[in-house]
Amino acid sequence: MRGIGARAAKSFWADAWDRVRARPGAVFGIVWISIMGFFAVFAPLLANAHPILMEQLAADGSVEARSFPLISNLTPTDWLLMAGAIFGLPWVFFGPAALGRSLRIAVLAALLAQGGATIVLSQVFVWTSEGSSLPWLRAWARLDAGPWPLIALAGLLSAVVAVAVPIILSPRRRVLAVAVVAAASSALVWATGAPTIVNHEKILLDESAGRIRAVWTLIPWSPEYTRSDLVAQAPGTQVSEVLHLDGFRGTPFGARRTWLGTDALGGDVLAQLLWACRLSISIGLVSTGISVLIGVTIGALMGYFGGWVDLLLYRVVEIFMAVPTLFVLIVAAGVLPRNTYVMMAIIGIFSWTGAARFTRAEFLRIRQMDFVQAAQATGLPVRSVLMRHMLPNGVTPVLVDTSFAIAAAITIEATLSFLGLGPDGQASWGKMLSSATAATGTFVWWLAVFPGLAIFLSVLSYNLLGEAMRDAIDPKLRKAAH
Amino acid sequence: MATYLIRRLLLMIPTVLGITLMVFLIVALAPGGIGAGLAVQGGQMSDTSKVAQMQAYMEDRYGLNDPVVVQYGRWIARVCPVRFGTTSLESPSGERIAVPRELPEPPMQWAFPAPAAFEVTFTPQSGDALVVEFRTLQRDAEGRRRNYVGLVRAFKDALADYVRVLGAPWTERLDPKGGADPQKFRDLPHRHSAAPKGAAAAWAKVNAAAAQMHQAWSLAEEARQRATIAFAARPFPPAGIEVIRDVVSIDSPDFGVAFSRNRPVWDLIKTALPVTMLINLIAFPIIYLVAVPTGVLASIRRGGVADIASGFLFLLLYSVPVVLAGVFAIGFLANNQYLGWFPVSGLHDSAEATMTFLPHTDSFGVWQRGWLLDTIWHLALPVLCLVYGGFAVLSKQTRASMLDNFNADYVRTARAKGVPRKDIVISHVLRNSLLPLITMFVGIFPAMLGGSVVVERIFTIPGMGSLVIEAINLRDRELILANTFMISSVSLLALLLADILYALCDPRVAYE
Repeated sequence: MRGIGARAAKSFWADAWDRVRARPGAVFGIVWISIMGFFAVFAPLLANAHPILMEQLAADGSVEARSFPLISNLTPTDWLLMAGAIFGLPWVFFGPAALGRSLRIAVLAALLAQGGATIVLSQVFVWTSEGSSLPWLRAWARLDAGPWPLIALAGLLSAVVAVAVPIILSPRRRVLAVAVVAAASSALVWATGAPTIVNHEKILLDESAGRIRAVWTLIPWSPEYTRSDLVAQAPGTQVSEVLHLDGFRGTPFGARRTWLGTDALGGDVLAQLLWACRLSISIGLVSTGISVLIGVTIGALMGYFGGWVDLLLYRVVEIFMAVPTLFVLIVAAGVLPRNTYVMMAIIGIFSWTGAARFTRAEFLRIRQMDFVQAAQATGLPVRSVLMRHMLPNGVTPVLVDTSFAIAAAITIEATLSFLGLGPDGQASWGKMLSSATAATGTFVWWLAVFPGLAIFLSVLSYNLLGEAMRDAIDPKLRKAAH
Repeated sequence: MATYLIRRLLLMIPTVLGITLMVFLIVALAPGGIGAGLAVQGGQMSDTSKVAQMQAYMEDRYGLNDPVVVQYGRWIARVCPVRFGTTSLESPSGERIAVPRELPEPPMQWAFPAPAAFEVTFTPQSGDALVVEFRTLQRDAEGRRRNYVGLVRAFKDALADYVRVLGAPWTERLDPKGGADPQKFRDLPHRHSAAPKGAAAAWAKVNAAAAQMHQAWSLAEEARQRATIAFAARPFPPAGIEVIRDVVSIDSPDFGVAFSRNRPVWDLIKTALPVTMLINLIAFPIIYLVAVPTGVLASIRRGGVADIASGFLFLLLYSVPVVLAGVFAIGFLANNQYLGWFPVSGLHDSAEATMTFLPHTDSFGVWQRGWLLDTIWHLALPVLCLVYGGFAVLSKQTRASMLDNFNADYVRTARAKGVPRKDIVISHVLRNSLLPLITMFVGIFPAMLGGSVVVERIFTIPGMGSLVIEAINLRDRELILANTFMISSVSLLALLLADILYALCDPRVAYE
């Protein structure tokens, strides 16, 4: 650093981040999103109907056998998320300064995405090949040791795609990192296999009779664990108050409480609330990612090439803008399979017009600027001009808008789930909300208030964050404020 | 202006086509395809062979076996106001009667030769007798066609049974494409003494099914030709305006019949669309009346209490999803467990028919609220749920465009001239800031149409939203497509209206 009192200029994003952090609303939003993220990652350890530790007791009270049902029932996604949170986040915050934090964030996001892609792809492969007409493919999908050829193929495919993403510039390091993630995630999918079927009722009865000793999680309920004898109980109800005829009085199960009540099927509301964070966050992030990807690509093409490309693609944008989005989404979600991935895809596919228009306007402006003209005059290939020179300078307005897009995606997910068109077998705030007004005409307030508050706070957080980001980055507004 | 209007209207056509094609493809992508709902309907019957025949009939009637693009083309041809080919007729009840369709040929004619084609000639009656005759012939043709299509399916099933009985070593010699020598195919089980047991019996069944099918074909073909001849004699007047007889005609769109309700789709839409439009048309002025003054106030006292408070409050409201507001409204305000101030569902009271229009006191001295107040009372909560979300968007936009204009040169000039501040705000700034608000309509309207789906569902209002959700649950293709078509048309027309208003309000804009 030269000169006395000279300070290095802050980078654009660091400056924007400081401006965002100065707003109390944005801080509130970040805090709530972090809480949601924490629940989304650690929900299996916080709310689970499987005991952490289960000890079979002999007649004399000695321990015969030990098992860990919770650990053995974790899915590959659970492991991946927890590994990312426990090892990845500290690395991002306290990792080597030489790499730079934004680079570390990008690397972590890319590696997590690669691991996630491996898991999703292997599930999709196994699922499609089980119904295949080729006998050898079906046999692969049903291998005793897990369908390892399909899993390996999924790992390989996502690794090939990940290697092409230029986040780590050194090729050797990039290949190494990608290969490690591919091997680890494939091994994870292979090792976890299919979940074992656990008879919850037997565990509870055995525990009450003193045949086993179990250590439970903080909230010993799973979202999918429902008891028909605990339907629509008010918050704070103790199990023994309802099931006083059975032999549960004075047992650990009888002493349990449903802190936020139970739903119309007899599932715990608190457990579902925590697990649903995962659906909400993932749908918000992934569908917005899809829409930004589509929007930026199309917008960049329109803005860069102009002419008839612009004319043609803008007609497509106009069609998508005139579509009553929610209406078409309802049709799509209604007739397509009720699946999380399908829902992410359709929300992304129908909400990219904003990103496309922002990118188009920005690219039309940048195209005339000196540095782009210079890049073109040097004879750089179109790919380089677009990706290296124009994209980093033209993508800011889109990124500012992502926060609002995530809020909108969360709202859409809640709405579709409310209408009964959400993903099957997944805890969802919208689904809980819809059971608040039961067919019998009674209104169950705890099914409306708690999930409703969760939806509201999440949407509000993203909106507050978006507002703060827009104010921090938008040069026109900033100028007007001075 | 006129050229602009025509150009815009013409540009709407590809947009509507694009939207409907998209929805058609989505419905076609669904597991079970477009006919999934029909298959479900058939599945409610107990007898499996009946189910298969019912399915065959449905597939034939709705053309479900054709490629998606062909089906879409057929749908477009029905909806398009310009029709080509034989003109449809219109019965006095408004029903569209198309010319009887050609019969599909019996399958596998290389192995099972069909009866020779024949030509029926007869002279139809005239006048009222023709109507009766045509109706009879039409019913006859439809019934026989149905019988024939069912028997084709039965024949194919019998053939599949036969192939299954034969087992792998025998069926390998058969060429399913039809290239094999018919004689060889027919004699197969009889020539080989080692053929599996039951093959001869299965073969006999195939032959019997083929014979039945051919007989049904002859009957159906004869009935079809008779019905066609009677149709050509025009028992009813042609539908729409006939430009060239049996070549080109102009007619209103035909949305088909909703098979889940067995009623013309247009009837259903005709009752549902006004309800949705009513809710939206009430909601719009409310949004503008609340949001615009708030935005103006916020911009005048920029950074003041009103500005910050309204911005924060509207952001809070904006973050409340419609589903949440609806559930809270119906639970706490409408449900009798809590306040119970508003009705829980519907658009009118059950005693609607006996109500007078305006409130009055009846002969017993009891106050009756009347139809108008009753409707308002029923609409209060749904409209409330629709409006609050638009406040934030619109007031923010008003405030931003007001602030933009406050910085403009002409405002500075006006100030320098000594124009009173009140006049500057109202006749200079506000007047010029209202223009972008017209375009805001473009952004809000499609979103509100979507939002009214949810509101209608929560408050059980029989509008377009309830209709589309029902259509989706029953996989009623005609209803889904017609709904999308109508909603996107309404939405596009609203956008066009916004553009015209813009041109009328802003003298600088000239669409030529």
